Amino acid sequence: MTGPYGSRTPEPRATLGAGNPAPEKPPGLALVTAHGVGRRYGRGASAVVALASATCTVAPGDRIALMGPSGSGKSTLLYLMGGLETPTSGEISWPALGARDTLRPGRVAFVFQMPSLLPPLSVVENAELPLLLQGSDVAAARRSALVALERMNLAGLADKLPEELSGGQAQRVAMARALAAGPALILADEPTGQLDHRTAGHVLDVACEALKGTPAALVIATHDPVVAARMDVVWRIHHGVLQGPSR
Amino acid sequence: MTALLWGKGLIGRLSGRLLGAMAGVAITVALLASLGAFIASGAASMTRRAIAEVPVDWQIQLAPGAEANAVRAALARTAPGATVESVGYAEAAGFTAGTGGTVQTTGPGKVLGIRPGYRTRFPAEIRPLIGVPEGVLLAQQTAANLHVTAGDRVTIRRVGLPPVAVRVDGIVDLPFADSLFQAVGAPSGAAPQAPPDNVMLLPLDRWHGLFDPQAALRPDSVRMQLHVRVPHTLPADPAQAYTEVWRSAHHLEALIAGSGVVANNLAARLLGARGDALYADVLFVFLGLPGVTLAILLTFAVAASGTDRRRREQALLRIRGASTGQLLRLESVEALIVGIGGIAPGIGMAILAGRIVVPAGDSPKGPAAVWMAVAASAGLAVAIASVLYPAWAQARRSPWIAARAMVGPRGAPLWQRVYLDAISLGAAAAAFWMTARSGYQVVLAPEGIAQSSVSYLAFLAPICLWIGAGLLAARLAERALVRGQWMLDRLLRPLAGRLARIVAASMGRRRSLIARGIVLVAVALSFAVSTAVFNTTYNAQARIDAELTNGADVTVTGSTTSPAGSRLAELRALPGVLAAQPMQHRFAYVGNDLQDLYGIDPAHLAEAVRMSDAYFAGGHARDMLAALAAQPEGVLVSEETVRDYQLKPGDRINLRLQSARDHQYHVVPFHFVGVVREFPTAPKDSFLVADAAYIARQTGTSAAEVVLLRTRGSPAEVAAHARAVVRALPGIRVTDIGSTQRALDSTLTAIDLHGLTAQELTFAVLLVAGAAGLVLALELAERRRTFAILSALGATDAQRASFLWSEGLVILTGGILIGTATGFAVARMLVALLTGVFDPPPQSLAVPWVYLTVLAAAAIAATAAAVLGAQTASRRPPVDALRDL
Repeated sequence: MTGPYGSRTPEPRATLGAGNPAPEKPPGLALVTAHGVGRRYGRGASAVVALASATCTVAPGDRIALMGPSGSGKSTLLYLMGGLETPTSGEISWPALGARDTLRPGRVAFVFQMPSLLPPLSVVENAELPLLLQGSDVAAARRSALVALERMNLAGLADKLPEELSGGQAQRVAMARALAAGPALILADEPTGQLDHRTAGHVLDVACEALKGTPAALVIATHDPVVAARMDVVWRIHHGVLQGPSR
Repeated sequence: MTALLWGKGLIGRLSGRLLGAMAGVAITVALLASLGAFIASGAASMTRRAIAEVPVDWQIQLAPGAEANAVRAALARTAPGATVESVGYAEAAGFTAGTGGTVQTTGPGKVLGIRPGYRTRFPAEIRPLIGVPEGVLLAQQTAANLHVTAGDRVTIRRVGLPPVAVRVDGIVDLPFADSLFQAVGAPSGAAPQAPPDNVMLLPLDRWHGLFDPQAALRPDSVRMQLHVRVPHTLPADPAQAYTEVWRSAHHLEALIAGSGVVANNLAARLLGARGDALYADVLFVFLGLPGVTLAILLTFAVAASGTDRRRREQALLRIRGASTGQLLRLESVEALIVGIGGIAPGIGMAILAGRIVVPAGDSPKGPAAVWMAVAASAGLAVAIASVLYPAWAQARRSPWIAARAMVGPRGAPLWQRVYLDAISLGAAAAAFWMTARSGYQVVLAPEGIAQSSVSYLAFLAPICLWIGAGLLAARLAERALVRGQWMLDRLLRPLAGRLARIVAASMGRRRSLIARGIVLVAVALSFAVSTAVFNTTYNAQARIDAELTNGADVTVTGSTTSPAGSRLAELRALPGVLAAQPMQHRFAYVGNDLQDLYGIDPAHLAEAVRMSDAYFAGGHARDMLAALAAQPEGVLVSEETVRDYQLKPGDRINLRLQSARDHQYHVVPFHFVGVVREFPTAPKDSFLVADAAYIARQTGTSAAEVVLLRTRGSPAEVAAHARAVVRALPGIRVTDIGSTQRALDSTLTAIDLHGLTAQELTFAVLLVAGAAGLVLALELAERRRTFAILSALGATDAQRASFLWSEGLVILTGGILIGTATGFAVARMLVALLTGVFDPPPQSLAVPWVYLTVLAAAAIAATAAAVLGAQTASRRPPVDALRDL
């Protein structure tokens, strides 16, 4: 990882999903590179600066916790990294992934704080959805989804509907959905924010276990030190300013 | 204070759901108010028309020796300001005339005595044809029988007295001969008495001179009548007007008991109008109320589409300590806004619709205002119920449970478990069977009884059919969405590609909502289709009725002495004439019964006249005319004659026809080839149809009294040209189908049905568009989170669109298929149930293809607009969308 204040070289990992997330790039290329990236909402006196001039790099295999209080700009930085938002200043690029409009579905996956499963789809259908959006074969998508659910210990819930799941189960399914397509980068926005510590810990343990052996990088926005402690690196963000890792 | 803030917030941010609910209330109010105003204005118009159509209101037949002045005095007390004329009725043994070296003699007839001013006071009774309209007048048919015209002399053969000769001053038509010569005082229900074949009218003084001696000798052969026109200050409602006129006549009869009896023509006509008014009410229920019900359903559906939003809002408020009462108070503010926001434009729409369709002056202000008030109250009730009920149901649930989204109901709803759909359909079949068994007697307005009634059992059939079909559609749609996943997957593949299975699965789990959409579209379409088909069938039958009466698009009617056929070539050459066919109209004796005889060219008549199969019994029109063409001496006779003479196909019938050579009636042999029920220009009672060439050979004249014209453009214009062609022929008449239809249209058809259906069809298009578009749009809007998540997952615009279009197409296709089938079934049932408004009954339903195309286009356009709107909204950056949700 090449963060604002440090770096670590990831080990190569196998692809989980049936999709083809990352183009063949020379090893060592960063997944995300941001230089002085900022995001402002509104204009003039009423403008709100959500993120001010952040510079960072995410490399394959990184496990990053992005810590900060509510409204500090964590989500904004994640959205910028995932191409969901465009910066109002600075530059952001995805050297190992390609252009912004090719990131999703497949190369970058999101896990949201709020319930993000589609209510009318079963657990396995939710999990296979990104693959189908990618254009994967229907049978292959189903197989990959089941593998991802298996890794998250959710195989028994494959036919359940989201409304039949507990909060922790739903977030694990969201994580499985992110894993299923075999993305190079998983961006999780407070994925355990609505869960108690025990459940949150369990969700993260299972997720990290599932990510073992994959080259995917994981960036988690959180204000929970317990969650952050499970990551390799912690970046702190305060009032829109990215301050650097704690370890 | 909180309520005010809440209301301010709602108004400040008018959502599509709020506006949609307002639109639903507006349509409910507009439809109810305008239909009610129509019923009120239609009733007033019916009364006015009924009164105008009566030539003589009362015919008071004086008892022999009765004091006429005493009766007049009683009449002045009962109906002050009434117009009264004395009319003498005398029987004559017959009439004789000598023309062209031959002498013609008729059978018994009547001689009327009228004062010179009679025609001015009762203008509809006598229509001058030839000569002057005063003096000695001879009825057209009598003149034809005697072969005389104005200026000729006719001898009256009095009963028991020597004959007297008079000089004929004019030939007249007596359009209301049935009522003029009715048997006054005949018991109710007695068979109507046919008017005399031979009639002469004399000035009253001269009549007295000729028939007072006969009265002295044979009092039973002479009668005096008072013809009365009562002041027409009657209630607007036909039933009330009938009751008033009926009571008034009875009061007079009580006053003049023993001196005379009253034939109440006005009450008889109002009786018909009373029945029509009841039918108008029935039509209002059959055709109008489903529209109102649908608008209410639509409002409820629109209001229900905010369930998710309401659930979240209530959960937040409850967590902050709001009680159920407080929640409902806040929701009441929304209900009030929806109510007021819907009622105002609804009343405006009703006023506008009223101004467009109701003729000026036809709309009584009082009833219209009452209907407006009723409609506004109903609108407010709908607003309150549609907003408050779901809010109340939601408020009863725990906020924790409420905050979680539910895909659909867990088990089957109660109506499915108890098979309410099957029960409703069974009830519809039973109610229809029972109504059919009673001969479709929906409206009962018996003569002489002030109270009239409607068989409400008949209403059950279409109501239950609608409910049953709607529920069955919901059940089948839900079942198809679950069990037909594989088929849906295949059907959606062209649209959704590899996502088809996911889309189908999503729709299967949201089956209740999708089935609701399908049912709404189906019910809206079935309402529109049934109304349109019924209306078109009715109009087609009204046109057939007019064709039957008028004969063709344009009919030129002359007499044997001045036949229209003498101008056939010129008429055929007129601009706008597609075909012209001559037709003889003679008279023939069947035994002692004088019947109308129509001589036609069976091979070519259909070129100028539309021949309906309904005109004949036991065969198609084409076959019957072919049979007549194959057997020149063949004759088609009416059912009554077949029954009276026990005829069988092939039987020889000897008719007596007047010969042009000696003007005498001679026996002409015919063979019975078939039964004719109705025929262009023919009367409702017995008549005959035969080959014109055969009649010409047997009578020595090929004169065609009538020419029937089929036109290409405006029949009225062709009629105007035809009048110029036949101007020189005395007593000739040119009529076109449009004017005949206007004259024929009952009060019911002329105003109410046209007005009712014009509004119905307009509102139906709005309702179909609303059901197909608005509900779908709001439902899709409620799923913005789903589409934001799809965007966040990386779904392309086309992929998101595949979800939207699939849902829209399934709802639209299901709705169109089920709605059209149900609409035709309901239309078929309505046509059967409302047989009473059809004359003649239709052979099949008439389909308004243009309207149905417009309807389908409206549904498709509304669906497309809803989906495209949702598609545009789904392009919003997912982060923005997710932040707002």
